Amino acid sequence: MKVTQNWLKEYVEFDLLPEELAHRLTMAGLEVDSMEKLGEGLDSVIVARLTDVRPHPDADRLTLCTVETDSVTLQVVCGATNHRAGDLVAFAQVGTELPGDLKIRKSKIRGQDSNGMLCSLTELGLASSSEGILILPPGLELGIPVFVALGLKDVRYELGLTPNRPDCLSVVGVAREIAGMTGAALRLPVPHLVEAGDAAAGKSSVTILDSDLCPRYAARLIEGVTIAPSPAWLARRLEAVGMRSINNVVDVTNFVMMELGHPLHAFDFHFLRDRRIVVRRAHDGDRFTTLDGQVRTLLADDLVICDGEGPVALAGIMGGENSEVRPETVDILLESAYFNPGTIRRTSKRLGLHTESSHRFERGADIDMVPLALDRAAALIVELAGGRAAAGMIDAYPSPLPKRQLVISAQKTSQQLGVEIDASEIQRVLKGIGLVSDFVLDRRDGALLVEVPHFRPDIEREIDLVEEVARLIGYERIPATMPTSTLNSQPLPRHLQLERLLCERMAGLGFAEVINYSFVAAASVERLGLAADDPRRQSVQLLNPLTEDQAVMRTTLVPSLLETAARNIAYRTGDLALFELRPVFHPVAGEELPRERLRLTALLSGRREPEGWAQQPAECDFFDIKGVVEDLLVGLNIGEARWPAEHGELFYHPGKSCAADAGGTRLGTLGEIHPEVLRTFDIPQPVYLLDLDAEALFAAAGRHPGFRPLSRYPDVERDSALLIDEEVSAQQVLDALRQVRLKDLENIVLFDVYRGPSLPPGKKSLAIRARYRALDRTLTDEIVQGLHGKLVQALQKSLGAELR
Amino acid sequence: MNNQLAALEKAAAHAAGEACSELDLQQVRARFLGKKGELTALMKGVGSLPAEQRPIVGALANEVKDRLETLFNSRLEELRAVELQRRLTAERVDVTLPGRRLRRGSRHPITQVTEEIVSIFASLGFGVAEGPEVERDFYNFEALNIPRDHPARDMQDTFYVSDDVVLRTHTSPVQVRTMLNQAPPVRVVAPGTVYRRDSDITHSPMFHQIEGFLVDRRVTFGDLKGMLTTFINEYFGTGIGVRFRPSFFPFTEPSAEVDIQCVICGGGGCRVCKNSGWLEILGSGMIDPEVFKAVGYDPEIYTGFAFGMGIERIAMLKYGVNDLRLFFENDLRFLKQF
Repeated sequence: MKVTQNWLKEYVEFDLLPEELAHRLTMAGLEVDSMEKLGEGLDSVIVARLTDVRPHPDADRLTLCTVETDSVTLQVVCGATNHRAGDLVAFAQVGTELPGDLKIRKSKIRGQDSNGMLCSLTELGLASSSEGILILPPGLELGIPVFVALGLKDVRYELGLTPNRPDCLSVVGVAREIAGMTGAALRLPVPHLVEAGDAAAGKSSVTILDSDLCPRYAARLIEGVTIAPSPAWLARRLEAVGMRSINNVVDVTNFVMMELGHPLHAFDFHFLRDRRIVVRRAHDGDRFTTLDGQVRTLLADDLVICDGEGPVALAGIMGGENSEVRPETVDILLESAYFNPGTIRRTSKRLGLHTESSHRFERGADIDMVPLALDRAAALIVELAGGRAAAGMIDAYPSPLPKRQLVISAQKTSQQLGVEIDASEIQRVLKGIGLVSDFVLDRRDGALLVEVPHFRPDIEREIDLVEEVARLIGYERIPATMPTSTLNSQPLPRHLQLERLLCERMAGLGFAEVINYSFVAAASVERLGLAADDPRRQSVQLLNPLTEDQAVMRTTLVPSLLETAARNIAYRTGDLALFELRPVFHPVAGEELPRERLRLTALLSGRREPEGWAQQPAECDFFDIKGVVEDLLVGLNIGEARWPAEHGELFYHPGKSCAADAGGTRLGTLGEIHPEVLRTFDIPQPVYLLDLDAEALFAAAGRHPGFRPLSRYPDVERDSALLIDEEVSAQQVLDALRQVRLKDLENIVLFDVYRGPSLPPGKKSLAIRARYRALDRTLTDEIVQGLHGKLVQALQKSLGAELR
Repeated sequence: MNNQLAALEKAAAHAAGEACSELDLQQVRARFLGKKGELTALMKGVGSLPAEQRPIVGALANEVKDRLETLFNSRLEELRAVELQRRLTAERVDVTLPGRRLRRGSRHPITQVTEEIVSIFASLGFGVAEGPEVERDFYNFEALNIPRDHPARDMQDTFYVSDDVVLRTHTSPVQVRTMLNQAPPVRVVAPGTVYRRDSDITHSPMFHQIEGFLVDRRVTFGDLKGMLTTFINEYFGTGIGVRFRPSFFPFTEPSAEVDIQCVICGGGGCRVCKNSGWLEILGSGMIDPEVFKAVGYDPEIYTGFAFGMGIERIAMLKYGVNDLRLFFENDLRFLKQF
């Protein structure tokens, strides 16, 4: 919503610097988004006369103009076509800086000197678009600044209004706020409408069939108008607040809407069949052409303005093509009505048709403004377009709406705001913005009965009045205090603690945390080659995605991470360690909401260590990602895990992947990404991934197992190399070792795996190092020999291992 | 004999001085003082001396031996020191070569900022709650006093999953869910991911918020000001200008936008603050009685305030990030900076 200082001053006196007014409006809840001083720095744009206009000798579209000011005569090249010799124009002298950083310099255009510029409205910042240069009205004195000559020095404020304040969608509404903050009086315009001839009621009529949607509909008939361009003052005023001037009648309706906030509509009376208005709901499937030329299909919920036969306007939103005011229009029926906000919003939203009019009606117009707006517009039309206003206003208002009466207690207001305010102050500040009140019973009670005018539909309850009071006295007057409320300890919930722990752990392991969008392309899981019945193919779909790439909620983080990897590799960052800890979304049959399940997915690729003169250039492999999972399990105190190679996940290399299970629960999977999958993601290098169910991890997470006492006695180490069948897995060896249960065995490390020509075919060599140590004594060689012998025997017996 | 001893001592001293390593010195010692060394050999001759001379020469020889021992020991120290010095010099490295580093991980700036803010509110006695990202229209809108045909819905462009299910447009539904599950007093912050159907240089269709609310008896608007000013001073530093100005949210009444003095220009006016000197960082207000009714709190007994802020905006201000999209492109060159 744009307003200008000059226009505001028509209705309220104030003496505030523009910056001060902007600040006070903002602090009163009408946020000033921007402020523009019209004509500032443009005193060098002056009134000048064109004494000669002739074609440019070397350019078809340019003219050479001789420009006369009060002191000099200059040549200027101009690209417009709407100027003639004798016209007064807005001449920007050399050195002027026009809005939009356009600096006027002396120049040669196609070989001809140009000593300045003839300006259009747009170039002067007075309109967002305009045709040709600005031709000034005759009679202005040469040499004086154009903005001064036209009285256009002004300040434009753009307000970012919240949807609860329809009353401020007008210059008068903003002026009322200024009156409230300065104590000045608000002066509403007083129309001087001279009626002529027969009563309007005899020539036309208004019938409201659906008064629930249209409680009031008023009209005036004006006959014999002449449609013509608006006078300059009207055009400038509309342009200054961002509207285009169209013709005198349409401009008047727009002017009154901007002035009073009440949208109006003018019909060409000649095209109203039966010369009457009927307000009713549309019929399902009715087709109707709005004046933007679009054919609209209507529903029975839509409110339409009809003539004797059918719709002529979409109530409160847009008029119809069939009854539009045209250049040849002579008789006008002017509408001023009040429509139910909900119906306007539903229709406007459904048709995607948002207009200045619907914007106001859907937020709530002022039903009491209906007659004033109508008379104001009628008087201006008679003044500017001629014609005769038929006697009397047709005003269909079957059941007048009572004003809301609310009680506000000073005590409660003080209590809720935390500042002492008495009832007379409340009365005073409310009166400032037109809310009249009376003391309830007597003064000592500290309560007021407030009558809420219809222009404030947002004030429905006492608390709404409390807010008004807070706003009007200023939030800065309320002292900042700390709540005295009960404090109880609220530790971070366990899963959030574990989430943080996981993140810290992953970052500690060298992984960078990423955040990808939760929505992905529906085809994104396709690229993983999931099985046809994989539940991750069932996703939550958006009804109105922004793009096809963001159409469904992801059921797995894997594609997002692979895309992230591909993108980084494309930017030549090939050493990657990424993780994402975010929810995935699975639809649940019979449930409205999907199941949101937190997953931890991490990706490793490229070199294991950062590049450097002292670093190893080795690439990551499967055991790097497995080490990460092992470390996470230790961090979460998850005991023995199993690593089954059969896991059913098709996007891994079948020979270099496994699941991670603990306590009989599947925690997730890990491994090298299948080369075919890498190909679909355009990733040119091996990628290792872990994909864990964070909630399963949290469920499996245990408590710290407690302290193990340290032995003060020396240890003894024994190494053995065991020849074993290739098929025997490390897991089997570890399981067999674990089953031996030797009390003084401190730990076992598998420190080498060897395959080679020196071994019999089909065999591999595993080297283990066992460390023995007792808590209570020094172990002798004999004892250790015996213990280690048992260990080796167990492997020989259960796995057919041989000592090398 | 005396002369011989003197000559030996002189020769030994000379040889010790010539020795340039510990090994050399050991050989010199062996040559003079060893079992088969020259002094031993000389001492053997003592027996052939006249008896009255024997003790004198013997004592003399012992003196020489002691002196040589001392000399050799000090020479040994000297040589060790020289040797050590040589070794240390030889072992010198170019300490300006970069160190051997481990791969360094990083936390996303959004989660870092979230955790920082949560920690501040935790220290002010707030617990942490969460809620689903795919949410019922009821919790996201209706219970927050945003009915279906209300223009306030235009404030938040919404992604729909069905007529009754949306991607939550703010973290405020957590407020509703928490209050439905918990009787007052409550003091909770709710960080989370939210979605709005809007995408350009200043809007991301997915972003993050922290919601916070406090409900108890006799909570005032002044308390809202106090609590949020405390938070802002904790996060942005004491002394930063803060202002509260009237605004509108359907679920609070009165409502306030909270601005801080521009952290870029210090309040003088710049491009980031659109020359106003102020930056909007928080929406807040006293919880609307309609919300209390929806969750079964008695608005005659309880009052409370709620607030919400966008994490991305705060992260952008904190780190000077000028493009919102960087947070979701996951370019490692960006992520590694945090």
